[in-house]
Amino acid sequence: MIYLDSAATTLEKPAGVAAATAWAMGHLASPGRGGHQASMRAAEVIYRCRETAAQLFHLSQPDQVVLTSNATHALNLAIRSLVRPGGVVLISGYEHNAVTRPLCAGLDARVKVAAGRLFDPDGVYEAFERGMTGEVEAVICNHVSNVFGFIQPVERIAALCRRRGKALIVDASQSAGMLPVDLEGWGAAFVAMPGHKGLYGPQGTGLLLCNAQTTPLLYGGTGSLSASQQMPDFLPDRLEAGTQNVCGAAGLLAGMRFVRARGVEQIGRHERSLCRRMMDALAGIPRVRVYRGGESQSGLFAFTVDGMDCEAVAEGMGRRGVAVRAGLHCAPLAHRTAGTLDSGAVRMSFSAFNQPWQVDRAAAALRGVIREGRR
Amino acid sequence: MLYYLIICRSLTYAQRTARILERAGISGHIMRAPRLVAKEGCGYCVKIAERRLSDALQALQREGMAPKQVFLQNADGAYREVQP
Repeated sequence: MIYLDSAATTLEKPAGVAAATAWAMGHLASPGRGGHQASMRAAEVIYRCRETAAQLFHLSQPDQVVLTSNATHALNLAIRSLVRPGGVVLISGYEHNAVTRPLCAGLDARVKVAAGRLFDPDGVYEAFERGMTGEVEAVICNHVSNVFGFIQPVERIAALCRRRGKALIVDASQSAGMLPVDLEGWGAAFVAMPGHKGLYGPQGTGLLLCNAQTTPLLYGGTGSLSASQQMPDFLPDRLEAGTQNVCGAAGLLAGMRFVRARGVEQIGRHERSLCRRMMDALAGIPRVRVYRGGESQSGLFAFTVDGMDCEAVAEGMGRRGVAVRAGLHCAPLAHRTAGTLDSGAVRMSFSAFNQPWQVDRAAAALRGVIREGRR
Repeated sequence: MLYYLIICRSLTYAQRTARILERAGISGHIMRAPRLVAKEGCGYCVKIAERRLSDALQALQREGMAPKQVFLQNADGAYREVQP
């Protein structure tokens, strides 16, 4: 199978990830729940995971790194910490349901959308500038759109937030491991990310980088201040009730070490290069419309085929051994902003392990799908 | 031999403490805080040799880490809080 769905989960992992996860299963117990060797070994793995994340994403202290079960969990924590019920929140036009659902269903927040045109960073920035009024309590922006690969101008939006005294949450789900992510440089309140995409960890892992006061979502045992019925007021314990996913953290640590060793810049360059190659190949196929963004495009993109349902295209490619994702990608707002809400789109996304020959074969598969669709 | 126990509010804090001491060339062992001194419930501490307390406190101060409490563990196993 040629796997081009790394924006959902990277399937091929560095060799050390499976080994670390399996080793953890047999050797690591619950961190913070005992003083015996198996518990302390687990604690060391968890701490190294925090240290490595702090180094990758420029945090001064490892205890600002909270381990979560995915980016959605991390975003829910961040949103719950910053947004009051009914509060006003300014979000980009490319947010995922992991942002919009907690705001709408969870908090009944008043959501303002800073909707700039696709692949127009200046337009997006201006939309944020206009929308960032006094009533806004928090600003949420993804670094890269999970549908179109649009790199939003997060650095400039962060600077605007700092000037106007607004708390910023960055969803780095599609950028962590591929683009520089800098919590303290941005001055963001929180940065959320999954562990199982660009950080090459197992599913069930995620990170929340914290630079603001927090509110727990879960209450329970933390292995600290046990005599009190209140959650600890310090991180990471405050947001980490219950036994942690130690096996996942061991795999995530191995994945982050791979990213550090290979280099975020090199991985990003590799993925963008494959993405360009694929877009070039598809541009020559009749009826195919590629959503292409030049310098503001990351290592994933979307396309549609005139006269064909996006799900039929993905299904046809799947039959030819190419894994892609079609539909709305859990981001109807992004599709609405880009004008593809009715049609949906097909997304192709790349990882450090994809090769140019896979791109060429996937392009050939799409030609076959379209030919077949005509009959 | 006498030891000092640097009491930490959490395991992560104990790990940070031990890393700072390690960088300063001081050997510190992370362990569960004895129940008799962990008044707020479960907790962790870093155990260091008696002669390294002063260096340890200086290293922690340089990093902005103030120990919550420090106990001296006597040869008979009893604990006595000390004011660093």
